[in-house]
Amino acid sequence: MNDTSPSPGRPPTDTPLLEVRNLGKYFGNVIALHDVSTTVLAGHVTCVLGDNGAGKSSFIKTLSGVHPPDSGQLLIDGEEVRFASPRDALDTGIATVYQDLAVVPLMSVWRNFWLGDEPKKGFWPFRRIDIPKAKRIAKDELRKMGIDIRDTDQTVGTLSGGERQSVAIARAAYFGARVLILDEPTSALGVKQSAVVLRYIVEAARRDLGVIFITHNPLHAYPVGDRFLILNRGQSLGNFAKDEITQDELTKLMAGGAELHELQVEFAKTR
Amino acid sequence: MTATDATPAVSSTEPTVDERLAHRGPIQQLLLRPEIGALIGTTAVWVFFWSVADVFGTAAGTANYLDVAAILGIMAVAVSLLMIGGEFDLSAGSMTGATAMLVILLSKEAGVLGGAGLSLFLAVPLSLCFALMIGWFNGTIVEKTRLPSFIVTLGSFFMLIGAKLGFSKLFAGQVVVEGLDDAQGYGFWRNVFAASWVRNEHLWESRDVVWTVLLIAGVVLVVVGILETSYRRAPTKDATGLLVAGVGTAIALVGFIALLRTDGVGANTLFGAVTGIGVLMASLGYGRWRFPRLGKRGHLQLDRSSARLVGVGLAVIVVAVLLAAYLDASSTDNVGLLITVGFSRAMFVAGIGVAGILAVLVVAGRIPVWSPLLGILICAVPGIGYLMTRQAARSVIFVVLAVAGLVALLVASTRAAAWSAAAGLAVELLISVALIGLAFFIRSESTSEKFRSQLFTVILLIALALACSALMGYLFTIRTAPDDAADAFGRRAAIAGVFVVLLATAVKMLYTTAAENEVASGVIRYRVSILWFAIFAVFGTWLLLRAQFGNWIFAVGGNKEAARVQGVPAFRTKTTLFMMVSGAAWLSGMLIAFRLNSVQANVGDGEEFEYIIAAVVGGNLLTGGYGSAAGGAIGSLIMSMSTQGIPFAGWNTNWRFLFLGVILLLAVAGNTYVRNKAASSK
Repeated sequence: MNDTSPSPGRPPTDTPLLEVRNLGKYFGNVIALHDVSTTVLAGHVTCVLGDNGAGKSSFIKTLSGVHPPDSGQLLIDGEEVRFASPRDALDTGIATVYQDLAVVPLMSVWRNFWLGDEPKKGFWPFRRIDIPKAKRIAKDELRKMGIDIRDTDQTVGTLSGGERQSVAIARAAYFGARVLILDEPTSALGVKQSAVVLRYIVEAARRDLGVIFITHNPLHAYPVGDRFLILNRGQSLGNFAKDEITQDELTKLMAGGAELHELQVEFAKTR
Repeated sequence: MTATDATPAVSSTEPTVDERLAHRGPIQQLLLRPEIGALIGTTAVWVFFWSVADVFGTAAGTANYLDVAAILGIMAVAVSLLMIGGEFDLSAGSMTGATAMLVILLSKEAGVLGGAGLSLFLAVPLSLCFALMIGWFNGTIVEKTRLPSFIVTLGSFFMLIGAKLGFSKLFAGQVVVEGLDDAQGYGFWRNVFAASWVRNEHLWESRDVVWTVLLIAGVVLVVVGILETSYRRAPTKDATGLLVAGVGTAIALVGFIALLRTDGVGANTLFGAVTGIGVLMASLGYGRWRFPRLGKRGHLQLDRSSARLVGVGLAVIVVAVLLAAYLDASSTDNVGLLITVGFSRAMFVAGIGVAGILAVLVVAGRIPVWSPLLGILICAVPGIGYLMTRQAARSVIFVVLAVAGLVALLVASTRAAAWSAAAGLAVELLISVALIGLAFFIRSESTSEKFRSQLFTVILLIALALACSALMGYLFTIRTAPDDAADAFGRRAAIAGVFVVLLATAVKMLYTTAAENEVASGVIRYRVSILWFAIFAVFGTWLLLRAQFGNWIFAVGGNKEAARVQGVPAFRTKTTLFMMVSGAAWLSGMLIAFRLNSVQANVGDGEEFEYIIAAVVGGNLLTGGYGSAAGGAIGSLIMSMSTQGIPFAGWNTNWRFLFLGVILLLAVAGNTYVRNKAASSK
């Protein structure tokens, strides 16, 4: 997988697609996020790692316009933006694929793919979905992501977990997303399915999207990531480019990484 | 055989095949539709009442149950859409009465009984506005408070009941408001909502010719559609096939016309046989023209399990015929062998049960869908009507055993077809021979003219169709790969055929002939509500399947949060759905008000459950996200057929609730099973 990912590091001439500067978010006196900074480049994958409660979901929700940030700045193409709603973020090209509510299981693949922005034909009273076109494009776009759907009429519920995530990813990519936020896409999946989703993540980056990949699994993050933001209790533990950190260090930095190491040592002694 | 050299040529023209995709035949695709269970149920219910009640199948009966279906169906379609959108509306029933009452109150003379004295040109639109407002209110409360719609609309249900009773008492001093026909503009609106088509006044002497031609054309189109989607396309067309098909068609037509113009058993049998041969030639010629030959046919020899089933099936059919012939028809109290009338009634119920189980099996795909089982069911259920012609025991035994025997043969035919094409052909031909035998048995033994002529003909036609399809399956290659062009063509042909058949039926039902008019008892009246119902059902189906809004309905019902995240305006979608239901309630209310000219305060109260039952029977998922608008319409047909059919059959109308309950349970169980089956078939 390493060889397929784009080379790490940021070329100095490139303005980041999305930049987060000293972001802070407070719920009453609870600090959800404090002084978090990172960058997302087109064609690169930025991984956000952290254990449960580290502030990952607050981070996503702030980026996708659900919560306005309390301090710090969001910059898109070097210009500061403020989102009033998720729709705003979507219009700016930030698409979020949530882990559990990405698709409607009882609807067919093509209906899911186009949901909310269906291609239409005909004039008003008889305005209807252009079904052949919708099916064709859905099939083509999914194939570009490397998913060969047998029949776009089959319901999404019959797809595997990884394929469902990929339908959502392909959809976001097609609808002009520039930054794709993936909320724990691999957490509910088995090893093979996770590998499938990781492949789609790399595929999305190769198509020049900036990807923010949220996960608690460094094993999933390291092979695909170009930049790693590690969160713990709402604070940034560091924001590294790939050449600045190894997988072992990454694991250790994660909350629990040190504890796991201690555990290993302890077990080794007692055996 | 020549088939061996044809095979390589065919496989090279085959498009790239996705090996994971098992080709879905047209009937299999149809089976994935939510409303298919209800469609089969409608057929079964229709056939059942056709066999037990003389008036049911006639125009008079049709006008009667369609009228009941219309008012229920308009609501059921709207409630189906709402249910797919994930909500309920318990106020829908009392809403119909409320709008009907409102329009009367608004149009009554000012000062008299609190009337507003409005022209109906104002009162009718105003009551629509009122209905839409209630719908908007329901939707807004449900969405804003996030309370279950069950509770919210229960609240508006009681509010509407209270308001209806209170206002009618207050203004009219009684719980009924009347005198709509005095209002200004009544004539116009009565035409819109309560016009009717009197069949007795519409004579059309060539009706039967038109009917026959349309019916045959429709059936031919459907058959062509099924063939085109089932068989592989030949790379080159064989002109001899076309010639054979043409000659066959001509022979069939000549035979058929002669059949219609002659009387007497001898001539009828002769020309019937001529027609049959013509049809067989036509279908085989068509196959030769369009489809490549089958390469490997295998041997006639059966595998052991199929052979055993064939034996069982034939034995059971023979026993059925012998028993039915042995048990004397005239004794109804005790028919011997401990079989009493009570026992035969129990068997009667068992017969219905068997028919139901078979329907489920067909739907589940356990029994091959391309097999003519449906046809056999349609023949079998009316055999129960034998029971009603005072030949209780023998008819029940005959029906149950004959069906069981045919089913055994059918299962055998699938197994045999999997073994080899030749073995499948043998068993299928055996089934059609058995069917022909049964048809002649019914013809010679039945005392009812209906069975002697109509059922006899239908069973023979099914046997003929089965024989044709068996031979074609043996001679030509079934398609296993998708072929979009052929599928699209086939689907269009089949749909057009269904419409032509419906048109034929409409012609037959709407027009009368002088001869028919002479023997007609009473006036047969089709009300305009049926037209409204048809328009509403078509509109609902189109909206759900073709329009963007339909996509949103599925989405908000299936996963509201996902829909919202995708930019679907969930609030607007749901509110619109509630407003559609109350708009439909307004339409129903107008249909009631202009028919009766007076409205009782309790009109429609409690009927919301019937709408929900109709929607669920029609295959809509109670929890939302899945279903069809047409399903609601079909569900309401089933319900009205049962409620009207029971009195037609001369039974106590109180049985209808038992009947409805059984239908509801069967429908839900069947639909759930089908849905799981559909969802798991990748």
